[in-house]
Amino acid sequence: MATQPRFGTEQLRRVPLVLFVLLYTVITGGPFLWVATMSLRTTAEIFKAPYGFPSPVHWEKFVDAWTKSNYGTYFWNSTFVVVTAVALVTVIGAMAAHCLARYSFRGNRLVRFLILSGLILPPQLLILALFQILLDINLYNTLPGLILVYVATHIAMTVYILEGFFAQIPQDLFDAARMDGYSDFEIFWRVTMPIGAPAIFTTVTLNFIILWNEFLFAVVLLTDDEKRTLPLGIMHFTGSHQLDVGMVATGLMIAILPIIVIYAFFSETMIKGMTAGAVR
Amino acid sequence: MAVVTVDKLCKRYAGGATPAVSDVSFTVADREFMVLLGPSGCGKSTVLRMIAGLEPITSGTVSIDGRVVNQVPAKLRDIAMVFQSYALYPHMTVYENLAFGLRRRNVDQAEVARRVHLAAKKLGLAELLKRKPHALSGGQRQRVALGRAIVRDPKVFLFDEPLSNLDAALRVTTRNELIKQQHEIGTTSIYVTHDQVEAMTMGHCICIMNQGKVVQMGRPLEVYRNPADTFVAKFLGNPPMNLLQGRVEAEDGRVVARFAGSAVALPKRTASALGRHVGRDVIVGIRPEDLYETAPAGSAAEIARLPARVVAVEPLGAETLLLVALDVSNDELIARIGRETALKSGRCLDIALDTAAIHLFDPATTKAIV
Repeated sequence: MATQPRFGTEQLRRVPLVLFVLLYTVITGGPFLWVATMSLRTTAEIFKAPYGFPSPVHWEKFVDAWTKSNYGTYFWNSTFVVVTAVALVTVIGAMAAHCLARYSFRGNRLVRFLILSGLILPPQLLILALFQILLDINLYNTLPGLILVYVATHIAMTVYILEGFFAQIPQDLFDAARMDGYSDFEIFWRVTMPIGAPAIFTTVTLNFIILWNEFLFAVVLLTDDEKRTLPLGIMHFTGSHQLDVGMVATGLMIAILPIIVIYAFFSETMIKGMTAGAVR
Repeated sequence: MAVVTVDKLCKRYAGGATPAVSDVSFTVADREFMVLLGPSGCGKSTVLRMIAGLEPITSGTVSIDGRVVNQVPAKLRDIAMVFQSYALYPHMTVYENLAFGLRRRNVDQAEVARRVHLAAKKLGLAELLKRKPHALSGGQRQRVALGRAIVRDPKVFLFDEPLSNLDAALRVTTRNELIKQQHEIGTTSIYVTHDQVEAMTMGHCICIMNQGKVVQMGRPLEVYRNPADTFVAKFLGNPPMNLLQGRVEAEDGRVVARFAGSAVALPKRTASALGRHVGRDVIVGIRPEDLYETAPAGSAAEIARLPARVVAVEPLGAETLLLVALDVSNDELIARIGRETALKSGRCLDIALDTAAIHLFDPATTKAIV
């Protein structure tokens, strides 16, 4: 019985937190739900009642978006660019993070500083220089060019997350592997990578989400329609269809689907990777 | 089987004011179990890591079977090491952990399986081969770490404080298990620890280190009975040796040690070894077990008595530790006495001392005189 009032205070104390979470959910989830409903309505219906529910539900809009525009191409372009860039940024970033976390070499701190300083540079600052460089090396308006830019701009965050995690792996494990006869590269591949999997999943998921939605570099560095990625494809709807809001919403839903699937699968691992303590 | 020789080994880290290891030399005979003992930070683990090839050597040599291995990479030295943290790969099962080193050495699958199962059976791990390290207890993890060393059948075993993460009870059983395994396998072993009980019970030979240097080497009981200096005297033994300021003097044809307001006649054998130290200051060392509440009956030992007052009584069950303050000097001594004592704090007594067990050290060098 003595615990009863304390229970009450505990719940009372949680009220502001619950209110905040509710508000946050409405602010972030509300627009998403709105776009989701719009994706199943025609533009005429939307203009008539912007916040109405889909009635009837126009599932055929998803088929139209995919078949009547270049959406299939955009989707595969995005998939190719993002999967390749994420794979490269993960392998290169993990190697760099392993070296920075594990070896003390001359210039170690300078290299770390230079890589991590990439975190503070806004992309707008880089875009002109990147445009010129890609022109010079004949990679402007090519998917490999965009992949290269994505890898370069996302190395910093990847190294930052992975190094913090790798540094917590006990040195004894690496020493044991050396005594067992493994080379530095084998140790990276067979010890660091599997043990660092939670952190690697985190960077893969984060990079995938960010790059899948990336717009600025893509719009500046790609010009041909058949090379566009999904975020550009959506913009394309607004131009040629004179602001076909309904189709833009459908396009957005198609674009966001892979992200939702990835997040649903990896969110738990991702959170674990971000909050994980020492490997014991 | 192998002989490990360490000669004038030095290690200096960049920016370090003093060397971490300085002029360390010793030889571990074939099949011998050598314990490197010392306080934290004395350089014993660094010596072990240099032998393993995990730490570059500043100067000096490490030889295995007469061949200098300074430039030989760790993987080619044919040494296995058991780490303090066990260093089990968390993403692998017990079987994979045991097989990891063998696979790298291109041992064929059937032979890997045979050796892993043999080691697992020997260490009682047969039922746990499919488990991952996180599903094992501390003692089981320790056995897997040992098994990983055993399956490789190396020339030399190195142990870096392998028992320090275990609780007290498990430490005793695992210690006995390790002694048994080493006895059966007979591989040359070097074992680093700061625990004197492990050193006394496990090693054929112990090498005591302090501040990067070897202080004394020898058979465990030899070192315990004849500590080379006051550091060893204090470090080996629990509770440690009592050390008091004193002076040796010739008096009426005898040699006496004066300390704490008493004059204790030294046995002839001790007196004759004193030489030039007669008439000079000394440090007097008395082990707690050489002090008695009452002189042992029927003993031939020459007993001296020191008036004292009991400060504290600590009954440990099997024995009792007595903290006494000597009357004149107020110096405090710890005595290890029988468990059935009726002494209470504040009581006065004449504490008995076996004069043959007195150790004398030179205060200038801290080295043992006798």
